Amino acid sequence: MRTTALTGGASLTRPTGRRAAGVGRLRLSGIVRYVILVVVAGVILVPIGYAVLGGFKTNGQLVGDPVSILPSPWVFSNYTDVIFGANAAVFWREAGNSLIIAAIAVTATVGLASLAAFVFARIVFRGREAIYTLFTFGLLFPSAVAILPLLILVRQIGLEGNLLGVALPQAAFALPLTIIILRPFFRSIPVELEDAARIDGCGAFGFFWRVLLPLARPALATVSVLAIVSTWNAFLLPLILLNGTDQWTLPLGVMNFSTEYVSDQARILAFTVISIIPAVLFYVVAERQIVGGLTAGSVKG
Amino acid sequence: MSATSARPRVGWRLPPKWVTISLFLLPALAVYLLFVLFPVIQAAHYSLYKWNGLQPLTDFIGLRNYVTALNSSTFITAVSNNLLVIVLSLALQIPFSLSLAVLLNRRFRGRSVFRLIFFLPYVLSEAVTGVVFSLLLQPGALVDSGLKGAGLGGLIQDWLGDPNFVMITMFIIVSWKYFGFHMILLLAGLQGIPAEIEEAALIDGAGRWQAFRYVSLPLLGPTLRVSVFLSMIGALQLFDMVWVMTAGGPLNASNTMAIAMFKAGFKNSQMGYGSALAVILFLFGLVVALAYQRFVLRRDVEGALTVFNG
Amino acid sequence: MTGGQVVTTRWRLGGMLGAVALLFSACSSGATSAVAPSVALTGAPPASAPAPSQAAAPVTIEWWHISTTDPGKAVFQGIADAYTAAHPNVTIHITILENEAFKTKLTTSIQSGQVPDLFQSWGGGIMAAQADAGALKDITADVASWKDTINPGALSIYAYKGKQYGIPWDMGMIGVWYNKALFTKAGISGPPATWDDFLADVTKLKGAGIVPLAIAGKDMWPSMHLWTYLALRSGGSDALTQMVQSGNWNTDACTAAGDQVLKLNALDPYQPGFKGATYDNEAATVGNAKAAMEVMGQWAPSVEAADSSSKKGIGTDLGWFPFPTISGGKGAATDGVGGGNGIAVGKNASPEAIDFLKFFNSVYNANKINSSNIGMSPVVGTEATVTDVNLQAVLAGRSKATFMQLYLDQATSPAMGTAINEATIALFDGASTSAKACQAITTAAASQ
Repeated sequence: MRTTALTGGASLTRPTGRRAAGVGRLRLSGIVRYVILVVVAGVILVPIGYAVLGGFKTNGQLVGDPVSILPSPWVFSNYTDVIFGANAAVFWREAGNSLIIAAIAVTATVGLASLAAFVFARIVFRGREAIYTLFTFGLLFPSAVAILPLLILVRQIGLEGNLLGVALPQAAFALPLTIIILRPFFRSIPVELEDAARIDGCGAFGFFWRVLLPLARPALATVSVLAIVSTWNAFLLPLILLNGTDQWTLPLGVMNFSTEYVSDQARILAFTVISIIPAVLFYVVAERQIVGGLTAGSVKG
Repeated sequence: MSATSARPRVGWRLPPKWVTISLFLLPALAVYLLFVLFPVIQAAHYSLYKWNGLQPLTDFIGLRNYVTALNSSTFITAVSNNLLVIVLSLALQIPFSLSLAVLLNRRFRGRSVFRLIFFLPYVLSEAVTGVVFSLLLQPGALVDSGLKGAGLGGLIQDWLGDPNFVMITMFIIVSWKYFGFHMILLLAGLQGIPAEIEEAALIDGAGRWQAFRYVSLPLLGPTLRVSVFLSMIGALQLFDMVWVMTAGGPLNASNTMAIAMFKAGFKNSQMGYGSALAVILFLFGLVVALAYQRFVLRRDVEGALTVFNG
Repeated sequence: MTGGQVVTTRWRLGGMLGAVALLFSACSSGATSAVAPSVALTGAPPASAPAPSQAAAPVTIEWWHISTTDPGKAVFQGIADAYTAAHPNVTIHITILENEAFKTKLTTSIQSGQVPDLFQSWGGGIMAAQADAGALKDITADVASWKDTINPGALSIYAYKGKQYGIPWDMGMIGVWYNKALFTKAGISGPPATWDDFLADVTKLKGAGIVPLAIAGKDMWPSMHLWTYLALRSGGSDALTQMVQSGNWNTDACTAAGDQVLKLNALDPYQPGFKGATYDNEAATVGNAKAAMEVMGQWAPSVEAADSSSKKGIGTDLGWFPFPTISGGKGAATDGVGGGNGIAVGKNASPEAIDFLKFFNSVYNANKINSSNIGMSPVVGTEATVTDVNLQAVLAGRSKATFMQLYLDQATSPAMGTAINEATIALFDGASTSAKACQAITTAAASQ
């Protein structure tokens, strides 16, 4: 993908030649395209940049002069307080909780969904489509619908106040989409490979583990990234299912922080910005997986 | 049932097929049934009772909660807000995403950077988005000052305080967060269309727009429909961002079905009624899905079928 | 000490769920308290009586509270630590929940039968519903020996159908908090005594370029209290009690209150963005001296300080006055709207939990609550540790009250509370009429 982008860039570096060839209209449309894209990118980046830079400002600057871009003077205490100062204990505790929940939820989601998608993709049996449809119905349930009975259930099975009690329901709600994305990938693995694996003495699990999963790595990366993003950002389920602020995750912390420091906007922004760094970093690293896999999986048969 | 592996893709010699199926499928099925389907069915059960969440379930009132809901102007507002977001998403957000996808479906310098930026809001949590935009939209804050500075002071609204405008604000923020997702979907769809096809149309004398309209767009159909479907389902389920920003206010003007349900159940201790709202919300989703399947999917037999009923 | 200020008001629990109207007899010098007033905070904590099962197996007390920030959080932890130090067999497991999360979790806990032993309560309609569900323990007999140490009016908020289900640790009254410096700047000499004066002062403040009043449209309840006062001042305590009990709000008192709100609206007195403001925004506005007044309870100074940029609020500029009277209105100037915080007792609570409650409301701990400004203890004889001038004014108002209406959104069922909040905020937002608001509340009451 990088190479293609480079070649694309290369073609744009010889505009003069093009103009000579009378393709001036293309060049104009190229400029228009850039203008539109830059404006849209600006709309995306301004709120984010406002948050990032706002964390370096004083509240006086934020309120008194909301439009000036750069802080003056630069204030670092908002960020340092969150990372290792007054608010650090809260922040790291919430980050830790988020991390544990995300780790469990993502492992469970991807693990269970791969197993199930394998069956849906490669084994024909009576009732398969019915069960698959049952899973696809899950797309229609916002977790809000089930939240009350879910809380009662989680308590009854003794998982309330346990991070597992949030991670498992989150995994359950993420299963439908994950299965839907994985199934066509698994299906696209040639039958010949399966036959070869069987001849080599592989059982179903052997084929799944040694052949299918390695081949489906891009798809697995995609669903993992999506699951990480969705569990990392989950709001309602943790709000209701967790016991006490000690167990809170970052999104809840962000909201709580914004009421606790209602007059200290700079600090709110600093806390918010730091809380999104993991998700953003992860995204930047794994962007190609999201972009490539997501669509190929859900769009193509 | 036993090991008759006549067809190449079916059946492993050992263990029997049903054992394999069970071992692979049951864990996911169990988790799904326990944590998703069972609670939803429970909600349907609760919805038939007048219940404050404290006492035992004894006051069976049939469908009265549903009647109350359909006669409640607050809930009707919530439903129309969801529908408004759906309509606006289809009318504005998806075309906008498609236009950007088309713009990005060329090789040019910086393309991957733009793609990276446009998708970025999708990975932010709705809570974070809500908190940041709440600050931006405060009276006299960045948005207001920016508009004033640009000589557009007349456009300033009480963004989150005006009952007539709050849903528009909400839609803009939702679009800010999600258009990149749809753009990426559509971009991938576009990239799946062989360039030769459109080129052939161009050579045949079609204009760029015609080539797009009559060649690329139809081929993009399945992707577009997936995008529409996900957008509708997402709009129906709108909750986190609204909860963080307005909690459904002012004057219930930004209630969505999920917000109304949450308020009824958890703030007003009307668990039975709240459950009824949850079921109605689910029925809306079901209608959308079934309509989608009935009227749209038929046309792309193999394409987007996988998303809903592979 | 000045033992004369013992509160001897007679509070009456006004009947059914939703009617916790508290009537004070005039503040006469009736019976004296059974407890010798002890004020000194410097004294050692009282060695509480050995727990009933001192030698018995270890006991754990589950306690849920909502003081997520200091000083409340630390004070509560300190009280728990002091108790467990004296009772080694007892462990107090504290769960601190954010207010909204607390309400949600408590409901489902009760539903599933696993009620915490002790938990935050505001009494009134919600507690009554919990009692009806069998979630609470009747502690009438357990507290008989020490209930006289607590202001009976405050205690009665936590009683329902003649049974005691909880204990208050904070009881105050809503009034008007104002910025003296801003009043002076607007040329206002002193707090208004009548509603007409109040409106005139609003005009003066407005004229001086000062936002007169902060309210919170998103959270709704702050302005609901203002409206309640207007109804109380217009119609009097009997009319308000009657409305709460009968559910018929299509009354003169109700429409009169709405009319006064509209009159106030006409002056455009609220802060910019009030329709989307939270209570914390409101407190920050006043705490940052961006608005001159808010109608709020005894916690206002501490929240204003916490929410202000300086973390100190407006300091000595802050003043308090009781809600003004309405000329021609039937309500007395001493009628109040109030309430506070308490601890309810879950059905499975051990004797140790109740013993801890007694310890919690010892004079020593009550003084600590007062002196750290996390509440105004209703424990008799602790008035002197309320040292803040403004809180003393609130305390005086509480003591002089001839009638005290518990916050309407807590006196009634949660759904009714929401209906009242929504109907009244619509008035303040200028999106309703007096008659419409009264009809909306009446309709909601009918569907209960």
